[in-house]
Order: sequence, then C-alpha cells, then structure tokens
Amino acid sequence: MKKVGLVAKREFVTTIKNKGFLIGLLAMPVLILVVVALVPRILDDRATPQVRGDIAIIDPTGRVVTGLRTALDPAVLAQRRTVAARQALSNVPSGTAQAAATAAIENALGQVPVLRLVERPGTADLEVEKAWLLEASPDAPRLALVAIHPDAVEPAGLDSAYGTYDLFVSGTLSQAVQATLTTGVRDAIVGARLDGRGLQQETIEALMRVPAPDSLIVTATGDRPARPGFTRSLPFILGILLFMGVMIGGQSLMTSTIEEKSSRVVEVLLAAVSPIELMAGKLIGQLGVGLLILAVYTGLGVLALLSFAMFGLLEPSLIVYLLVFFLITYLFFGALMMAIGAAVNQMNEAQALMGPVTVLLIGPYILTPMIGQAPNAPFSVVMSFIPPVNAFAMMARLASDTPPPVWQVGLTVLAGLAAAAGAIWFAAKIFKIGLLMHGKPPDIKTLIRWARAA
Amino acid sequence: MTRALELTGVTKTFGALRAVDALDLAVPHGQICGFIGPSGAGKTTAIRLIMSILFPDSGSVSVLGHPSALDAKDSIGYLPEERGVYRKMRVGAFLRYIGALKGVPADAAETRASQLLARLNLAEVLNKKCEELSKGMLQRVQLVATIINTPDLLILDEPFSGLDPVSVQLLKALVLAEHARGATVLFSTHIMAQAEELCDRVVMIHKGRKVLDEPMAGLRRQYDTRSLHYEPLDPTAEVTSLRRLPGIERVEATSTGAYLVRLMPGTDPATAMRAVTTAVPPARIELARVRLEDVFVRLVAQDTDGSAGALRADLQGLGPAGGAA
Repeated sequence: MKKVGLVAKREFVTTIKNKGFLIGLLAMPVLILVVVALVPRILDDRATPQVRGDIAIIDPTGRVVTGLRTALDPAVLAQRRTVAARQALSNVPSGTAQAAATAAIENALGQVPVLRLVERPGTADLEVEKAWLLEASPDAPRLALVAIHPDAVEPAGLDSAYGTYDLFVSGTLSQAVQATLTTGVRDAIVGARLDGRGLQQETIEALMRVPAPDSLIVTATGDRPARPGFTRSLPFILGILLFMGVMIGGQSLMTSTIEEKSSRVVEVLLAAVSPIELMAGKLIGQLGVGLLILAVYTGLGVLALLSFAMFGLLEPSLIVYLLVFFLITYLFFGALMMAIGAAVNQMNEAQALMGPVTVLLIGPYILTPMIGQAPNAPFSVVMSFIPPVNAFAMMARLASDTPPPVWQVGLTVLAGLAAAAGAIWFAAKIFKIGLLMHGKPPDIKTLIRWARAA
Repeated sequence: MTRALELTGVTKTFGALRAVDALDLAVPHGQICGFIGPSGAGKTTAIRLIMSILFPDSGSVSVLGHPSALDAKDSIGYLPEERGVYRKMRVGAFLRYIGALKGVPADAAETRASQLLARLNLAEVLNKKCEELSKGMLQRVQLVATIINTPDLLILDEPFSGLDPVSVQLLKALVLAEHARGATVLFSTHIMAQAEELCDRVVMIHKGRKVLDEPMAGLRRQYDTRSLHYEPLDPTAEVTSLRRLPGIERVEATSTGAYLVRLMPGTDPATAMRAVTTAVPPARIELARVRLEDVFVRLVAQDTDGSAGALRADLQGLGPAGGAA
C-alpha cells in the first residue's frame, strides 16, 4: 500500500503543479468571482454616479404629462424597482434570504435616476425640438425627447387603433435609463387612456393581480413546500460538476500514462512496483485531482449561495451524494481512460479509442436535465440503474422536487460500484499488456483480445 | 551454493509465437551470469518473466527465495532495455522517488544517489532537470536508479546497448563493484564479447529455448580451440617450418599478419608453446580462447536457416540491436 501511496502522491502533485492544469482549474472560478464579486461593485450605486438629466415632452393631448411626471418621480421609480426585484426572486424562500437577495440585486442595479420633465408646447416643431437635444445645457444634460402622438390617448375614429409616441434620445443615454423612461411613458399613456374611459388604474391593476402561490407537495408525512424554480437548475449544475471532475481527472490520467509509456520510464517503474500497484496509485492520484476540482467548484457555488444568503436552497446531503457518485463515475471512466493511455503510444492515437468513452460520458450528461424534469418517469427510474448513466440520472433525481426512495439510491450505488469494478478489471488487463506494447495502436477488438489473453 | 534465481520449465507464448520455451535456469548467489543470444531470442521476455512484469503460461519462477519477484522487488536492481526517466523531474527527485518505491528512506537515497553520481562523474547534475542532460548522462543516471537500493540481485537487460564508450567502461566497473559487494548479476546481451569479458557463466538462448548453460571455465575446456595465436618477432621469418614441430598439426595465416597454430589432439599447449618459441622467436604468443560467438553458431548451425552470416554479425554487435521478443 505504501508504494501505491507514493505513486498516487507523485501523480497528484505533478498534475496540480502543471501550469496548464492550474490555469484550467482557476480560470472558471476566477471568472465566476469576477462576476459575483466585481460586477455588483462596478454597478454599485456608491461607485456609479447617479444619472441626472432633462427629458423634454411634446404632448398634444395634454393628458400624458402629469402621469409621466409621477411615473418618473425618484420615489416611484425606487418602489417599482423593488417590486420588480421581488418578482424576479419570487422563487427564493421568503424571509432573511429573500430580503438579502433583494438587497443584493437592488444594490447591483444602482441608484434610481433623477429625471426632470421639461414640457414643450403641444404644437412645437419636432425638428426644432430635436435640435434641443444637441444643445449644451449649463445645469443638466439633455437626455431624451418624447413626442406623444395626438391619437395616443383617444383613437382618431371608432374603428381606429390607439396611437403611440416617438422617442428621440441623446447618444449618452444608457439602456437602463431608456428602459425606465419607456416604462414610465407607457404607464402614463395607459393611465390617461383609462381616465378617458372613467376607469381607475389602481382598480384595473388590482383586478389583474393574481399572486402565484408557493406550491405544496402533499406527502404521507405532511405537506412540504415544492422546491423553487432556482433549484430546478441543480440537476444540470450537479451534472456539470460530475462531468468536469471525471473528464479532467480521466484526461490527466490518460495523458500521464501515455507520457510514462512513450518516455519508456514505465518499465523502470515496473522494476519497483507491480502493474496493479502502479495502476492503483495512478487512479487514486488522479481521483485526488478530480476531488480537488470538485471541491473548488462546489466551494465556489456554496460561497455564491452564502453571499446571497441562499444557502438554505441547497440540501447538504446533495454534496455527499455528489461525492459518492463522482467516486463511482470517476472509477469507471478513469479506469477506461487509463487503459486507453496504456494501449496507445501517442496522444493522437488515443482519439479513436476515446470516441466511445466520450459518448458514454456525454450521453448521460445530456440526459440529466430531462431526467430532472421528470424524475419519477419510468425512463428516469430505469436509467438510474443502468451504468454509466445511473450516477447522472440519480443525481438529477435527488436534486428534484420528489427525490427517489432510499432503496433506489442504494441500488444505483451498488450498480455503479459493480460497473466500476468491471471497468477496473478490464482496464487492469489492458494496462498490464498495453504498457509494454509499442508499434501499431490497437483497435477496440484488439483491446478485447488483450483482456481475454491477460 | 543457494540460488538467487531459479526458473523451472517456464513457457510464454504471444499468440502463435513461443517467446520462451520450457526454460530452466538456476543462478547461484554471487555469480555474474550472462544471458546471451541473438536479437529476438527471447531474452527480454524471459527477464520480464523473472521480474513479474509478465507472467508465464506455465512453469515456476523463484527470485531470492520468493515465489515471485513482486515479493522481492526492493532487493532487485533492474535495468530494462527500454529505459527512460521523467524528463521534467530533477535528477535528485527522480532518484529519491525510485528509491522510495524500492523502500529506501529519503535520506539514505539522497546519500547513495550523491555517492553513485560522483562515482560516475555526475556529481553536478543532482539538481538539474533530466531533460537538461545529454543522452550519455541520462544513461548513467538510469544506472544509478537501478542500484539505488543496493540490490542483492542485479538484472540488466542489454545494459551496454546504446552506451558511449566512456559509459560502457563506467558500467563495467560498476557491475564488477556490485558483484564484489556480493550482488548476484544477470545480464543479457546479444554481443558475445561483452559476456566473455564479464561472466562467470553463460546461458545461451535461441528461439526461446536454452541451448547452453555452462560456467565460462567449463566452456573453455569443452570448446578447447587447440590453437595458439602467434606473431613472429621477425615478420620475414619462415613460419611454415613450425608445422614440422611435434604436436603441431598445421599453421594458418590470418588476415592481420598473425598466425593460428593448430595443435594435434592430446598435445599439451604449454609444451607446444615452448617449442614454437624456441623455433621462431615470437612477438606475441597466446592460447586461443573459445569465442562464444563460435560456440553459439556451432550450437544453432542446423537451425539458422542458412543465415549464419547475419547471426554472426548480430553476435558481434554489428547487426540489429537486440529487441524484445
């Protein structure tokens, strides 16, 4: 066992010290950190100057200006933004988490703009007013000109449709402020139309409002809240983590095996350790690499959830299951990839043999979101018992609203372990023969013949 | 004398090829045994079977009293024919790693590596990366890795293959030093002259089968050439008159200007040598030793498919290098 440990340690240390690996490992987390940590700061109201400026309006109807002034009031804008943020986070559990998340989003959106409305005569010449936009202003920048159509509030005839408005903006107006302005104009025009019909806007809005309830799952042990939409992406996320850990660990295993074979150092190693000790050491060493990748990405995910006070969304047992299914999947694919590494002489020769293995790995990953959508459909249940799909399928089901019974999880683990043991057995036979074989790279048939011969 | 290595009826086939065929081999402790044969004879396969890198289809292997080399790897130094290093690793780290795999504590490995490197004129490379070394230097580093564990049994597969002349001399000295320390040495070669120079005993193998297993001394007796190498002091001397001396059968001129004096059966070489020296004073006279190359060719003559010339060239190191069977 000591020799296995020595081989494993060297394999692990050599891989994680490799510059390419470090860049690959850290690139994505750094990017996520930039997005999670820096973007809100960049957009922070303390960092971003508050937008101030004038909006000119030509309103031949005379009935939109008042409503628009109200809509662009900073207090109203702030309230509207808070409501929108809450709607966006309707999937987040209420309470501290939602409050923190709302605050985080509001913070990221920055300060509300201060927009002063400048009324122009209803008969004003449009071209002249457009020139106003270009004139330098001593006190506040001129941001936009809104020209309400005469039929925007009342149609020209009984069969005519409502008119609209034209919007002219300066080149410096941001998309966010423009969106705020168009929402305000729309609300003001709709308000004026309702007034024209003798209807109260609040009444209409109240009639239209039907808040969506948090659904409850009825179980024998009582009702429990369904998982919110945010966590529906968990099967996909967990699938990515599994895929990445296995793919990176397996690829490193294959590459290092090819390097040892092509540099002819392998027989020097075999003078000191048995082929099985060498194989076990390499497999364990790269398992450590895979676990490191998993730990880094899972840790970042947890950190992100904690920073948004949303850690409560993640069932901690899912992390344990992720580790178990990673181990099973890694052993299965890692053993096969190492066998390929031992069988070929160069990296380019490995591509042909890697094809079927890659399909076996990508296939289950592609199925993950579908299985997450219908976790208890017969297809999903059957898939969770068939290696190598089973680990991905079971992870997707465990992250769903209706997790499978414990016996099914146990059966999946057993099936996965059996498949991993079979793959290791097959790989060990290929490994023993392939390491000392040079020359023409073998095809799948040859590999099977080797396995039979060993 | 107990046996460091014993093979009994070992057979290994690869598909239709019988690479090793019912091989019996016993190497006593403390011997230097040459495992010789032409390229493709099955030497490397037999050595891999001894090292438990391959496993026999039938027969048994005993190494240092263990039923498998797997139980004795820490006491074996093995230099494979196909040998490499981790090119990105530093020499010291590589040697420590190989030492650790062979059960040598890090401190002891460090000390032994430094001593051996110094002996091989490589003291300065300890902290260099392997990829920075020349081919000759790397070959010597590989030798150090082979004996870092102070082995009881040293197995060298074509150790002189591809070595520069300086490294050949260093390796020979190292092998003899290890032998003097008490290590048993088994080395394979397809170049017979190397075996003649180093071995106490030779085992010849051809097409997977053992064709000869003799101590060198016995071999010399068995394959007595009954000849003297002779070179007259005066190049113009009448040498043909030597054949009239008692016990002299004939005198043959060689391409180098020297002569081969053939003795009659039963002639005492010492008496013949005195008679020749008295008749025509020599610049050089010595007993012609048996050449393994001749023994081998004689032994497998009927089995060489008419390619004795190519076989002889291979055994002289002029043919293709030995390869794995």
